[in-house]
Amino acid sequence: MTDPQLSTAERLARQAERVSADLAAQDASWQGGWTRRSFLAGAGMVGVAALGSQLVTTRAAYAASGLSNGNTLICIFMRGAADGLRILVPASSDTGLDYLTTVRANLVPASANLLPLPGAPGWALNSALNPLLPFWNTGELAFVPAVSVEGVTRSHFQAQQCLERGSDTATTGWLDRALQQLGPGTTFRAVTQGSALPAALTGDQTKLVMSSLKNFSFPGWDGVAPQSETALRTLYRGLPGPLGQDVPTTLAALATAATARAKAGAQNGAVYPGGNFSTALADLATLLRAEVGMQVATVDVGGWDTHTDEANQLDRNLTSAAKALAAFLTDLGPARRSRVTVVVMTEFGRRVQMNASGGTDHGHGSLMWLLGGGLAGASVYGKWNQLSAGSLDSGDVPALNNAYDVLGEVAQKRLGVGQLGTLFPGRTFAPLGLAKAV
Amino acid sequence: MATTFWPSIAAALRNTPHTTRAPMVWDPASLLMSRFGFGIEARTRADLAHYGLDDWWRNQVAFGRGAGAGYAGHAGVAAQGPLLKKNPAEVRAWLKANGNEYGWEAMDQLTRVTLGLQAWSHGQVYEAVVDFFANHLNVANHSDGVWTTRHTMDRDVIRKYALGSYASMLLASARNPAMLQYLSLASSSKKAINENYGRELLELHTVGIGAGYTEADVQNSARILTGRSLDADFNYLYKPERHWVGPIKVMGFSHPNDTAEGGEAAGEAYLRYLAYHPATAQRLAYKMCVHFVSDNPSPTLVAELARIYLRTGSQIVPMLAAILRSTEFWASRGAKVRRPAENLIATVRALGVGPGDLTKSLQSLHWMSSAVGQVPLDWSAPNGYPAVASAWRSSGSLLNLWGYHRGLAQNWYDGFAELDPLTLYGAVKPRTSGEAIIALCGRLTGSRFPAAHLQALQTFLGEPAGTPIADSRLRWYLPHLIPLILDAPQHALR
Repeated sequence: MTDPQLSTAERLARQAERVSADLAAQDASWQGGWTRRSFLAGAGMVGVAALGSQLVTTRAAYAASGLSNGNTLICIFMRGAADGLRILVPASSDTGLDYLTTVRANLVPASANLLPLPGAPGWALNSALNPLLPFWNTGELAFVPAVSVEGVTRSHFQAQQCLERGSDTATTGWLDRALQQLGPGTTFRAVTQGSALPAALTGDQTKLVMSSLKNFSFPGWDGVAPQSETALRTLYRGLPGPLGQDVPTTLAALATAATARAKAGAQNGAVYPGGNFSTALADLATLLRAEVGMQVATVDVGGWDTHTDEANQLDRNLTSAAKALAAFLTDLGPARRSRVTVVVMTEFGRRVQMNASGGTDHGHGSLMWLLGGGLAGASVYGKWNQLSAGSLDSGDVPALNNAYDVLGEVAQKRLGVGQLGTLFPGRTFAPLGLAKAV
Repeated sequence: MATTFWPSIAAALRNTPHTTRAPMVWDPASLLMSRFGFGIEARTRADLAHYGLDDWWRNQVAFGRGAGAGYAGHAGVAAQGPLLKKNPAEVRAWLKANGNEYGWEAMDQLTRVTLGLQAWSHGQVYEAVVDFFANHLNVANHSDGVWTTRHTMDRDVIRKYALGSYASMLLASARNPAMLQYLSLASSSKKAINENYGRELLELHTVGIGAGYTEADVQNSARILTGRSLDADFNYLYKPERHWVGPIKVMGFSHPNDTAEGGEAAGEAYLRYLAYHPATAQRLAYKMCVHFVSDNPSPTLVAELARIYLRTGSQIVPMLAAILRSTEFWASRGAKVRRPAENLIATVRALGVGPGDLTKSLQSLHWMSSAVGQVPLDWSAPNGYPAVASAWRSSGSLLNLWGYHRGLAQNWYDGFAELDPLTLYGAVKPRTSGEAIIALCGRLTGSRFPAAHLQALQTFLGEPAGTPIADSRLRWYLPHLIPLILDAPQHALR
């Protein structure tokens, strides 16, 4: 579809066809009830902007009213419950080091492997996070310890669902409801890197799940690709259920993906390590550079359920995660980074006491990380009680800070979501003051 | 429509109104093989017509329990997994002798044999049930520490009891070396309890999170199972000196658990209590209905399966048969979306692409399922691959699958027998372009496409339906039309 051999006129004609096909598909789905879908496939592209006169006026106006503020929220979920106490380590008597060394001596990094955090006395970073330290120094890294939400149990699956749905009773995800409030955007406004949709994005809003930007093109002989795409639009027109949305969305995204691919390649000297997580972040950087209108993105990274041999397992995972995140932030460069906020979360923290296998069992209060633009400063936010036998909740870090408050503050101040009531039903919002409003 | 149950499968089918979700059309054989199998192909259609539903079902069950048990459903595929016959020490010795004591060959063979049996075993019902229980009691293949043992979970637990009793399967799983490693039971002892297995046993393997157990119950669940461990060769071994002794109470179960030597038997009593618990029956029945019938099964169907489970002492086959004796099942065509690997295998079967070179074709299926995020047995968390469509929405997977449709129809991949697309017309050669399209749609999807869809395919060819076959552009476009039909909702749904 983006064959350079095509004349501008032909390219515009094809885009017009694609946009009208998209609109027809949406008409069909709207008959079953209003869903706020994107009309402008690849709204960031010059070609489509030039087509403005061909779009039905009210729809264009409606779409324009929902244009994003240009910021992006990236949610990274560390599946398996990462042990916050070995990531951001309470490193003084005041924060609880003495207790830690009595119950998990082998899991407290040696002082040579702890990085002090200027301005956050009593805390130190696992040295595996060394690549991220420069961002602490520029106010682009922060943490919230002892974080959880009401209703979270020590079950991985229940806890993930509870956190991602924004309440223990909601049937859609909190990010899906954030998108609903933001109104329509481009086909790329919500991107999941991976092979399946996370619970945070389940719901009616359109979103794009891609395993890699590199392979995001219509397969087979190019000579029949446009005809095949046209046929597929008809075959799926009006189909109820997820495929009736996903097929038109996918087809609408192909041309934009091709344009974005032209922007691939790390910038600013960033070097990504290997691995799926790294590839996913590199793809997101490419999409951000291509200005495809991405408002929300999610990435999952697994391997944190360290019931055994935690010191080795966790540090290995942290090393590659920190390198990948540092490469991503570097790749974006300071200006673009100021419009991108990354939240790293996990379903719960781990037991303070080490188990017999050199690991830790399921616990409660966990650690959230915030990176990138719009933070109120490098800091450890929220409440913390000195760790001691008496201050724990059934042997675990207590929930002193609310994860919905963190997510809500970022959604409100960075994405411009107006009301948080539908995102986190029943929660009386108490921001920690960790982000700056746009 | 209210669910009703009938004495035989054929009677249930006869008494079901011809209901489907559009654009699917009524075709019981396609429905059956898309749920109790990995897709319809020509031979099964013939078998069903020959034997009738009830005899076909009995044959399939007998084959899975007898001649086709374990990996015997396809001799050539089974021969691709020589390590699957060995015990952990033998596997390790073989790996060492072949250059890497910690190599993944046994785990890889398990993946490849599983894919091969799904695609080409005659025992399709057995493979479908094995897939269900392998996910229910998931032990991630290619996870830490199971490189010599993972196949024993498949061979000695899942495949052994898939058409038997769930209680037996559960008890065997609680002694399986791979399960003990994966959920850390092997490293749990009285001095330091590891709760991983004790918790997932309650939450995932048996009663489920809504059953009302407490954190204290979870701790007791872990305590009573301490001592279950492994010897130096990774065989199961109960070690009394590691067993936590003292009274145990979990939900309605209590046991004095007063000797270390008696700890293993106390654990068996606890496992039996859980296996026969009504909450386990309800949960397993619900999961089975979601897997085999629809993402939102009726409470009536779930209750009937749970009742049968409790009445028969957890027998699996009568539960499955009850699904087939329900009108709800036969009215459910189109209610499920094929998950990515299911779409891949169904494509192989619909095209009738046989294994040319088995080693290469199984390697191809392995990377193909990997690219769409559904390598069999590889889901890393203990809850198994999600069964519902909403969890699988992905543009990336759609594009990959559309690529596989093209690649398999156009002979791109290593190892598969070469497909002559003209064979897909069947016995009666079409006279016109329009007849050819209808014949292909029927053969590949078991559906007659609605007029708008036929017109879309006709437009793709760029010629009217009445074009004589001799003048048709199908001469060039047939290999491109076939995958387009497989891209359609009639193949994406099941």
